[in-house]
Amino acid sequence: MTRRQELDNGLVVVARPNRAARSIAARLVFEAGAAFDPPGKAGTSSLVARLLDRGGGGLSAEAIAEGFERLGVSYVARAQGDTLDVEVRLLAEHLPEVLRRLRPVVAEPAFPEEEVRREVGQTLSALAEREQDTGAVAEDALAAALFPPGHPYREPAVGTRASVPRIGAADLAAFHRERVGPSGSILALAGDIDPDRAIALAADHFGDWTTGRGATGRATIPDPPMPEREVTLVRRVEGKTQADLVLGMLPGLRRNSPDLPAALVLNNALGEFSMGGRLGAAIRDREGLAYYVYSTFEAGLGAGPLAVRAGVAPDAVRRALDLIRRTLEAVRRRGLKPSEIRDSKQSLAASVPRRLETNPGAARTLADCEFYGLGLDYPERLPSLIRAVERDQVAAAAHRYLTLGRHALVVAGPALKEALR
Amino acid sequence: MTPRLSPPGKRRSSSVPPVRVERLPNGLTVLLREMRAIPVVSVWCWYRVGSRDERPGVTGISHWVEHMNFKGSRSIPKSEVTRRVELAGGVWNGYTWLDVTTYFETVSSDALDAMLRLEASRMTECLYSKQEVERERSVVISEMRGGENDPRSYLEREVSGTALQAHPYRWPTIGYLSDLQAITREDLYAHYRRYYVPNNAVLVLAGDFETRAAMRLVKRHYGRIARGAEPPPVRTVEPPQSGERRVLLRRPSGASYLQVAFPAPALTDGDFPALLVLDGILGGGPSINAWAGGRGAGPSKSARLYRALVEADLATEADTQIIPTRFPYLYRIQATAKAGVDPERIERAVYAEIGRLAGGSVEAKDLERARNQFLARYALESESVTDAAHQLGFFETVATHRDYLALPARVRAVTAGQVARLAAERLSERTRTVGVLVPDAAGAGGA
Repeated sequence: MTRRQELDNGLVVVARPNRAARSIAARLVFEAGAAFDPPGKAGTSSLVARLLDRGGGGLSAEAIAEGFERLGVSYVARAQGDTLDVEVRLLAEHLPEVLRRLRPVVAEPAFPEEEVRREVGQTLSALAEREQDTGAVAEDALAAALFPPGHPYREPAVGTRASVPRIGAADLAAFHRERVGPSGSILALAGDIDPDRAIALAADHFGDWTTGRGATGRATIPDPPMPEREVTLVRRVEGKTQADLVLGMLPGLRRNSPDLPAALVLNNALGEFSMGGRLGAAIRDREGLAYYVYSTFEAGLGAGPLAVRAGVAPDAVRRALDLIRRTLEAVRRRGLKPSEIRDSKQSLAASVPRRLETNPGAARTLADCEFYGLGLDYPERLPSLIRAVERDQVAAAAHRYLTLGRHALVVAGPALKEALR
Repeated sequence: MTPRLSPPGKRRSSSVPPVRVERLPNGLTVLLREMRAIPVVSVWCWYRVGSRDERPGVTGISHWVEHMNFKGSRSIPKSEVTRRVELAGGVWNGYTWLDVTTYFETVSSDALDAMLRLEASRMTECLYSKQEVERERSVVISEMRGGENDPRSYLEREVSGTALQAHPYRWPTIGYLSDLQAITREDLYAHYRRYYVPNNAVLVLAGDFETRAAMRLVKRHYGRIARGAEPPPVRTVEPPQSGERRVLLRRPSGASYLQVAFPAPALTDGDFPALLVLDGILGGGPSINAWAGGRGAGPSKSARLYRALVEADLATEADTQIIPTRFPYLYRIQATAKAGVDPERIERAVYAEIGRLAGGSVEAKDLERARNQFLARYALESESVTDAAHQLGFFETVATHRDYLALPARVRAVTAGQVARLAAERLSERTRTVGVLVPDAAGAGGA
């Protein structure tokens, strides 16, 4: 029931009906995320996203906001790692008008000098706040430890104190011209729609968009080199009562890695299932050391690390790290129990349909499948791919991805040197 | 052209599923809403207990009880509580707030029976072993500390405790550290037994089931649970405020923050819908889904505060907060100062905007936009089975679900005059509490 059509200008439109809804979620996805920020200008994609609706196509920022909000439409644009995403949520009867109003926002932003200056200043304020956020401090340090200078995944999407002041309106216009166009981009719609009509409407409003180059084939993101040995970084942040720690391991996973289903099963059993998998059982449930502890793969166009995160009291950091290491080592050496693999496979496979339950969830999932070339039937195929995972494949994934000893560890919080000694 | 929105239920009234209300002899209220588009069901069990039912010495106990109720029962071992939900492809969680404590599972519909069994067991027979109480003590303290890493949590706590001097809404739901260190197993168990009785609970089912068959399952699992004593009422009424209150905090922080709080009407107060519209004009309108609302939404850029604070380059963020509560609570306006901007300038700009509202500046297009934003959000935030069940249960627990169903009509009836009167009467200098947090010497004060 999901329909897909590529318009002549290369924009792929995907539409999925949900007759239980009165609303529609529409998501435009461009290969224009932070990974594509020009060298030395980290934060460009993020500023482009924040300024798309601040004037363009002959309309003022005020007129654009009023045009959406008088219909009750919610609009948001964000720079992710690989993509720049624009999402609108609306009542179904407004779809034609919303698509009409969306077109100049994404295709003809003006990046007025004054708006750019204001947004740059506000981003610098936000960066000062971020320096006091233990979670953000840990994430930025981890990326800098795992990805070498120049790597697309090294810098934070929001940019840095050094890079953001270097970005001007001309940079934003150039980035937009080069990366935000119809070719290789996706418009995904889900909700109370007739898919054929939705595609026709999309063609009406976006079919003659030819400016902006867009992507021609997906970009290649190089694999980061494996660290030679383990790296431990301590970042002191004053006035905090809890430390955030993150441990990241390469080689990491890509969205199109052939062993992705096995890696998902591994990650689920390690740090997701029930109350945080094995890690949750060891650290939260048995010892009460943390409110949160979990693991994730950040798989994109390029390889993203398998990361373990936890928030713990400063005096419990050592103990928590010890338990995390032991858990990772045990899973790598001895593998997972058949019952753990069975539970994780069942849980992951059975949860796939829920991703399509809400309109924003369905639009995001479909856009994702299209962007990463997984096929629109991926949500239907994924459960059987997961169920087919064998124990030795999970063991191989554990061996490949749990590279303790060559990991990077960051702890951010108050007075930690003593705690780690 | 003025856009016209059809109200929820009007365009295709037959497609809006009715709510069936049942009451078991033991006092359990059951709300059922069939939504059969996908084979999923959401089960929420609500209790009329939250931080309002606590007292100094045991603050945070309602939330800690919620944690303990994931630790297994006489018939369901700890390891099975969340495992069963996830094997059914489900998602689970729970939360505790001012007026409510709730637990939910959204699962494939063939797991409905197992979820009702789980929730019925949670109501009556959780274990509370000494060992689990001690483990959870440090988990809850860790949760509190994680929240405190955000300097704004201090400001919110101080403003709440200053604006409210008597009513138990004044302390944080997470509790005070000293209380979390002192609460005993007996305290927890007594709190659990006092409030977890069917006559103090609301069970909500939304999704793919047939109502009569679902009610048979509900009766099988809940029918034999005995009615309990009625939990004690909240008696304290907040005395009126008769002058501005101010707090100034100094903490390590990357920015200065401002929070202004005013006494807000309770959900059932006649002024509540006008506050929703007022907030629409001032702040872009509230989310009214406390669980999932606002997730992933951007700021409302036509809102007056956004224009006066963010566009005017005084603040990097400006937002507001309304919570539908049983008793009068607070309406908050919050802003993050741009580096180098004195929070006092932001404060003045906020009061200027309130003054404009009180002075009758609301035009027909402002009302129209605020109403349309509210009605769209009202629809969007109740579409999934999880959200639909949440909304019915939240409002039934705080007041009644009819108050929720009546909100669109009440919001549509709000006039410009009501908004102006509300701004003049409720958002006044006499009743405001102002909190400012500035970076102290040890913190980086921003560029």
